[in-house]
Amino acid sequence: MNKKNLALLILLGMMVGPMAEAQIKHIEKRVEGMT
Amino acid sequence: MKQHLGRQSGVQTVEVSLLDGKVDVTPKEDGHIDPAQLLKATYDSGVTAAEMDMTARGKIVKDPSGSLALQVAPNQSFTFAPNELSKGLESLADTPTTITLRGQLYKKSAGKKKPDPATPLTLLILEVQKKE
Repeated sequence: MNKKNLALLILLGMMVGPMAEAQIKHIEKRVEGMT
Repeated sequence: MKQHLGRQSGVQTVEVSLLDGKVDVTPKEDGHIDPAQLLKATYDSGVTAAEMDMTARGKIVKDPSGSLALQVAPNQSFTFAPNELSKGLESLADTPTTITLRGQLYKKSAGKKKPDPATPLTLLILEVQKKE
């Protein structure tokens, strides 16, 4: 792998890595009319 | 309702408490979950949603209109309803800081039976849990 590809891979990792940690962790609802 | 919500994309588990009408939805670890779709699914299953809260982790960004938003996925973000807590996060917009927060996405208005699907959900921050 040449240096250019390696640099691109590192750059991609820096961009995607932090967003991969972002997420919806939990959703809580209160509902009415449940039987 | 439990089965109906459990069939929605990105949902791992659904816990329903019949006593207090509380519904807990846990998303899949790497799944994409759409709260607006969950809200619609709640109504489709024949009950009324009184309110919906979300705990999420993401980055603070400025959306195209200049409002602050929490970006939880490359193509998913929630615009903040302005309050004191959202003002305190302004300085973190477009920085690498990751925020974990709990906020309210929906609360039923008095006299209003069903949420308008055309109105995007806004996130009213209730608690900032973590800044990393």
